[in-house]
This record gives sequence, structure tokens and C-alpha cells, in this order.
Amino acid sequence: MHSNHTLPLTHVPVGKLVRLVEIKGGREITHRLVEMGFNPGVEFKIIQDAGGPLLLAIRDSRIALGRSMAFRVLVQIVGN
Amino acid sequence: MKKSLRIALAGNPNAGKSTIFNALTGDDQHVGNWPGKTVEVKTGYFQIDDLKVEITDLPGTYSLSSFSPEEEIARNFLIQEKPDLVINVVDASNLERNLYLTLQVLETHVPTLILLNMNDVAERRGLTLNTKLLSEKLGGVEIIQMTANKNFSGDELKRKIIATAGTQNDLHLEYPKPITEIIDQLVPVIRQEAGLKIYDPTHLAVQLLEGDRHLIDDISLEAKNTFSKILGKSQENFEEDISIAIADHRYKIIQGITEKVISRKKGDVSFSDRVDNFVTNKFFGIPIFFVTMYIVFQLVQNVSAPYLDWIDGVFTGPLTHWATTFLIWVNAPDWVSSLIVDGVLAGVGGILVFLPGLFMMYLLLAILEQSGYMARAAFVMDRFMNKARLHGKSFIPMILGFGCNVPAIYATRTIKKPEARILTSLLIPFMSCSARLPVYLIFGMAFFPDKSNIVIFSLYLLGILVAASIGIILSRTLFRGETLSIMVMELPPYRLPTLSSILKYAKNQSSKFVKNAGTIIVVFSTILWLLLNLPWGVQNARDSYFGQVSNSIAPILAPAGFGTWEASGSLVTGLVAKEIVVSTFAQIYHIPQEEIAESDLGLGLEFKEIAVGFGEATILAGKETLEVFTPGITLFPDEELREDIGLSKALRSSFTPLSAYAFLVFVLLYVPCAATMGAQKQEFGWKWMTVSIAITLIVPWILSVLVFQGGTLLGLG
Repeated sequence: MHSNHTLPLTHVPVGKLVRLVEIKGGREITHRLVEMGFNPGVEFKIIQDAGGPLLLAIRDSRIALGRSMAFRVLVQIVGN
Repeated sequence: MKKSLRIALAGNPNAGKSTIFNALTGDDQHVGNWPGKTVEVKTGYFQIDDLKVEITDLPGTYSLSSFSPEEEIARNFLIQEKPDLVINVVDASNLERNLYLTLQVLETHVPTLILLNMNDVAERRGLTLNTKLLSEKLGGVEIIQMTANKNFSGDELKRKIIATAGTQNDLHLEYPKPITEIIDQLVPVIRQEAGLKIYDPTHLAVQLLEGDRHLIDDISLEAKNTFSKILGKSQENFEEDISIAIADHRYKIIQGITEKVISRKKGDVSFSDRVDNFVTNKFFGIPIFFVTMYIVFQLVQNVSAPYLDWIDGVFTGPLTHWATTFLIWVNAPDWVSSLIVDGVLAGVGGILVFLPGLFMMYLLLAILEQSGYMARAAFVMDRFMNKARLHGKSFIPMILGFGCNVPAIYATRTIKKPEARILTSLLIPFMSCSARLPVYLIFGMAFFPDKSNIVIFSLYLLGILVAASIGIILSRTLFRGETLSIMVMELPPYRLPTLSSILKYAKNQSSKFVKNAGTIIVVFSTILWLLLNLPWGVQNARDSYFGQVSNSIAPILAPAGFGTWEASGSLVTGLVAKEIVVSTFAQIYHIPQEEIAESDLGLGLEFKEIAVGFGEATILAGKETLEVFTPGITLFPDEELREDIGLSKALRSSFTPLSAYAFLVFVLLYVPCAATMGAQKQEFGWKWMTVSIAITLIVPWILSVLVFQGGTLLGLG
């Protein structure tokens, strides 16, 4: 079981369902991400890893997140 | 009831706001810059019964928190201008995220009408919405459900607007206790302050807690201190930032609503996701991007060339002939004839020649943008842009640069970090704008008749490569600090662009361009004509003032293989606008003269010639367009070689194919035009404009010399 294990989004394989735990970013970028739907507790998936940015399926939208930011988004894996 | 209404459209980017705006206002709209800001805001009008309605299309935003100029404009309009109604366009297929803005709009207490759009997409994904319940949960707000390009009824919407304008909207969001306590402390202070009377006290308190302190810039020092004290203490009880706690809480409210309002069946894997499996794929993404770009340039080129021949023919043939005949008939002095024919007419012809190509370019850019592909291009290019410490979003202004560098410079405003913005704007001039295309076309046809497509594509590619190299160099020297900003970008679902909207975009952009560039060109063609004809009575253009100045520059360009006064002269005039390079050559070589004699056909025949020529050009453009999609197969074999236009012959007398290519490299890379420099000065000041000019003089010189000298060594000269 991974459920208590927190890891950066960049370490999650494509296709796994994850739950957002925390964003380790500055106040402004964190606020902006929360406003776009990245609030703690939300569940989402990585659907593409283009080697650079990640493409995420979150709340019925598709959001591209730069790799350096994705590294600061901490999540738990909750399913396949 | 009032005889006029002021309403606003608010919504997330990609929620379909502009389609609704266009459907409501038709052509009765104008685009202006927001006072003091650089964001474009569209205003339009419509009439229903005897009521005039003014409608403002606010910039698309995800929130009203004013972290970006767009958000600030949207928010200020709602709380300071207090419109009679705000129509909140909501994407039904993406309800949770869209409702975030909706809650913030409702918190402003401006009368609100929610327009649920994209219901067809929601349905396909297996989502059913209970709109009645949604309205209840949002304090009884009016909701109208329509899908912008399907069952849209402008009349029904207009009636609803009138019925809803001015109604009450009193949703009050319940925040958790610690937040409410601070709000309760702030509200009495706000009520006492005269300067804050226009605001709803509770709403302003929430905004202050969200970190939006601009709103109290103008109040008394005493009140400011009180605010600071309360706000400073407010953070103590919170583990996380209070502004984030508020945003987080709004989503909790939304989740509470959507759980009851949306019922989900298992829908199909969406078409967009299936396409994205390829288009955003690690391996296929980049090749798909380059193939797309190649098709774009092929189409532009294939549409341009036939019309270019036709327009050129019309200008140098019948039009010149008519003008000359008319001028002789009214007994105009020689210098007037020369000014009109060689100056103005040649200049106007020079710009109209590439209008079809320009129109096609804008049409294709609109398709890329509206279909949703542009965002994917930014996504796949992010990895490479990172090497220049830029992110994929910087790529969008750069792609726009292919249309015109000037709007591209303004489009960098979407980039947050100032250093990243400046760096992007220094790279944009290397994106080959459509004004450079006529130069490539003329040279391509004159020197590489069978390979002009490849030559042109190689130039676009070279521009991208140079931009990438310069970006890597600059990000490690001039911009050594942190320029990398963070990419967070929505990829909207793929959508079929509507014909009317892409045509409208292409029409507006081309006519804007013709107006701006056209004026410059007519003025400069006239000045150029003067310089070519002074001192008065000069026989040989080389001895004119223009020839003398150009002659003194020529030696600098000699190592690149085009050290003639004609070449350097046309490059100098090209500083004003690159398309002038072509018309300068036309003026220097006096092209029309030889053809006047041949075209003495009589008026009726000449009209017929023009019409037939247009028809032929259209057929040719159509054939070549089809061929783009069947690579390797020749659908329509060339019946005859394209006729040489006068200019090609003249050019071949002073360039070799190698020096012509070196010249094109220079044209690609040197200072784009006066307007781009102006835009850079306006956005970043004199310093950066000067840096940009320096880069775009040194880089092209080095590269064109390399091309020419390298080519000579390889025996290509």
C-alpha cells in the first residue's frame, strides 16, 4: 500500500490516480493553482508525460504543468 | 425602466465567451485598450425593442483575484463600474472549475445571469446537470442553457437579459469561523471610510484577505494602519496562508454543490483525449508539430504565388497603362506621371501583391488557435523552450510572430516574469513574419523556380533555429538570473473552428495590416521616389541621392555577396517595413516600362484579361492547395512554366543563386520593421529596443557572410 506515502508528482507513473496533499510553492503560484482547481484533497491523473511538462486530467479539464512546478506538488497514490 | 443597459460578459478562457459576444452584437463592436492597461477589451452593441444595450466582453479569467492585468480589469469593471448585469458564461462540461469564477462573480452582488454553454460536450461525457437545483444552490440566480454554435437563439437570450438586468443577487457564502471573525472586524472599518463607499463591505473584506491590497491604496493613513493591524494578526490563527484557505474553501462549497447537481454516467473516452494520445505524445508530438507547420507554409505559399503573379500583372500592365494614358490625356507634367506611376502605384502594388498570402496566413493561425492546437504546440515545445529558460507559453507569441511581429510583441504580456518576457520579445524578430514572404517569393521564383517551396521552408526553419540558439546564448549571458517561470496552462478540448469566426479574424487582421502598413508604404514609396529622382534630372538611379547613400553602405555587405547599391538600398528601405524591399527593387529597376508597350489591348480586352487572370490564379491556387495534401503525387502536372515577372529578370542580372540565398538569410534575420521596434520601445523601453536592434544587425551579417563564403568554398557560387 502506498496510501501514506507522499511523493512529488514527477515521481508518479502516467495513469495512476493521485490525491493532492500539498503544494510547496510561493504564495502567489500556490494561490493561482488552487484557483485553477488544485486544492488539497482533489484527485487527478497524469495522462501524458512529454519529457518536459505533464498533462493532467483534473476536474474535467486538461492542464499542462511545467516539470519544475510538478516537482513541488506533493501527492499520494490512491489507485490505478 | 432605463432606455439603455450596460452589461458585461465574464467567464473562463475557452468557455465560449467570444462566440456569444459575436452572436449578440454582430458587427457592431469595437476593440479598445483598457485605459492605462494593455489588455484589449471588446465593446459591442445591440438593440432590442427601444432599448440600447452596451455589452463589454471582459478578458477570460479563472478568477477575479487580480494577480494578472486581465483579472484586475474584470474585477474592477464589476465592482467599480457596477454594470446592470453580468452574463457569466459557464462551460457545462467543466462545471467545477468554472463555478469558482461564478462564486466570485456572485460575491460582487452585481445582478448575474449564468449562461450554461457546451451542453453537448457535457452530454457526450455522460454528465447530466440539474439546472434548477444549481440555481437554488447559488441563491436563486437565473440560469439559461444554450450551446453557442448549435441551438443558440439570440432573441431568447436578449429577452432573458432584459428580464434579469437589475435584479437582486444576494448570495452570501459562509466561510469557516476563523475567517468570518476577521471579516466581522474589517467590515465596520470599511463602512466608516468614505473612499470605500462604492464597495460591498463584506466582499471588500474577503478581497483584502485574499491579498488584494490595491483597492485600499487611496484611503486615509489612519484607516490603512487599522487594516494592516487586523490583517497582520489574521494570519496568526492559520497554518496555511489565509488567501489559500479562502480559495480552498470556495472549492469545498463547489464540491458540495456539484455532488448534488451533476449525475455522471460513464461517458466515452473523449475525442480530445484520443487525439492527445498522439499530438502531445513524447515521440509523435514534435514530428506532428513540424508537419503541421510545413503544411501551413505550403498552403500560404501556394495561395500566394498565383495571385502574386496576377496582382503584379494587373499593376504593371493595365493599371499602369490606364494611369499613363490618363496622365497624358490631362497633360500632366512628366514628374507628376513619374511620381504617380513609379512612386505611388508601384508602392501600393508592392503591398497588395502579398495580401492573399497574408490573408491565408491569418486564416491558418486562426484555425490553429481556435481548434486548440496552438496550446498543444506550446505543450510539446516546452521541453525545448526550457533550454532557453523559457516555458512553452513563450512559444505562442513566437508562433504569432509568423503572422506579424508587432502583435507578437504585445502577446508576450501573457508571460508573467519580466525577464522571460523581454527575452521572448528579443527572439520574436527571428520569426519570419508574413511581410518577409513576398521577398522570398520573388527571389524564390527568380532563382529557384523548382525548389522555391523548400527554399522558403528552410528560411522559416532557420529563423526558428537562430531564435533557439540566440535564446540559449542570451539566457546564459545577459539573462543569467532566474528567467524560467512556471507553466500552468489549460489545454482546451479540440473544437472545429467556425468558418465565420476564422474569416472574421483573418479579415480584421489583414485589413488592420493593410491600413497600417499601407500608409507607411505609400509615404515611403513617395519619399523613395524623390530620393531616386534627386538631384533633379538625374539620369542614372545610381547617381541619385538614394544611390549615393546606398553605395556607401554596400561595401559592408560585400562579404555576404550582395555588395551592390541596389541590394543595400532596398535593405535600408526595408527597415521601415520588409515588404518595401520588393517595391524598392521594383522602383530601382524601373520595371513597368517595358510592359506598357505590350499591353495596349484596349479597355474592354484589358478588363477581360484581369478577370480571366483572376480566375486562372484561383484555379491554380486551388490545385496547388490540393497537392499539399497528397505529397509525392502530382495531381495536376504543370502545363507550362510560370511566366517570369519583370522583376525576376532584373534580379537575375545582379544576384547569383548563392548571393540571392545569402540575401534572403539577411532579410529573414535583420531588424523586422519600424513598427516592431516601436512596440519593443513601448513595452520595454529604449534600452531593450537598442539591444534588439544590435542583435538583429549583427546576427544576420554573420550568418549571411557564413552562407555566402561557405557556399563559395563548397563551389556553389
